[in-house]
Amino acid sequence: MAVETDVKKILDSVLSLQGRSAAWQRHTPLLGAVPELDSMAVLGIITALEDRFGFVIHDDDLDSAIFATLGSLSDFVATKLTK
Amino acid sequence: MTQPAATLQVFFMDAAHGQRFCLLHTPPSDQAVLGHVVYVHPFAEEMNAARRMAGKQARAMARAGFAVLQMDLMGCGDSSGHFEEASWDAWVADVALARHWMLERWPGVAWLWGLRAGCLLAAQVCRQDTHPAKLLLWQPVLSGKQHLHQFLRLQMAGDIVRGESSRGTSRLIHLLEQGESVEVAGYSVSAALAQGMARADLEALPAGTQIFCLELGDADSETVSPALSAQLQRWQTSGCSAQAGVVPGSVFWQMQEGPDSPAWLTTSLRSLGCAVPEVLA
Repeated sequence: MAVETDVKKILDSVLSLQGRSAAWQRHTPLLGAVPELDSMAVLGIITALEDRFGFVIHDDDLDSAIFATLGSLSDFVATKLTK
Repeated sequence: MTQPAATLQVFFMDAAHGQRFCLLHTPPSDQAVLGHVVYVHPFAEEMNAARRMAGKQARAMARAGFAVLQMDLMGCGDSSGHFEEASWDAWVADVALARHWMLERWPGVAWLWGLRAGCLLAAQVCRQDTHPAKLLLWQPVLSGKQHLHQFLRLQMAGDIVRGESSRGTSRLIHLLEQGESVEVAGYSVSAALAQGMARADLEALPAGTQIFCLELGDADSETVSPALSAQLQRWQTSGCSAQAGVVPGSVFWQMQEGPDSPAWLTTSLRSLGCAVPEVLA
């Protein structure tokens, strides 16, 4: 799925994972499981998604559940893209 | 072969409302000084995250023949004052003071080197100058307003990481508009600081200003972002000489212990017209 690949690429670049995200699956947990994912990194991802996909993420769109797994984050992006 | 080391002096500079912590890097004593560079650090936590890279670059520039001043702006780092006492205008005055201090000692080629929001401050000082400046801009923030909004979102990002319901930024914006300070990610930001930042941009630089921008990306496949590309065009239309390059590396201004970004060091040295030593290239 193209969105998931893009999201992985963004995670890899923002969190400087040096290719670690390549093996990640939809169910791979993010928040609480990836130590690099602190508040600066979450903000970095939000900003990078906006820049890459050209949509605006509103404050109301955001909650922790979005960052639970690679799948939940990709679904969020896919939903934003259809709006 | 080991290279001769640059000299480092650490001191406090007298300024309005206290003293500013300064690091001054100068070329090895047997080397001619080509000019000077004033580093303008980014905002809040980005300043700390970028400290190591900025130090590396400053030392490399000094070895290449430039005197480089790194000043902690009012209320930041080891300078006097609290962060919440700082205003945007006070920071602009600090950068102008640093530039003046360096011009008196090394009047030759004069660069302002900004990182992120530091580029906005450098641009403002550049506008006040009588003669056109040279700007080295690292991942420049193009809109202070957007940068402020992103910073306020840090509180929300913290809520997300802690698994709490996110508080949103509208309440913070409202408080700032009422002239109140707000606290985000351990930084207390005054209304005077927020309002000044929200008005800052990179427009209206004097004709003849020379600008080099570095933007993070995959140098083989990516081009400069559309936003920076449009900014370059506006600078060129207003008579400035502006160039930008996509340079690979890490988001070193957001990560406390990220990997090095050596290509940023070498690209910056080339922008200053320096030869790049083999140990860096």
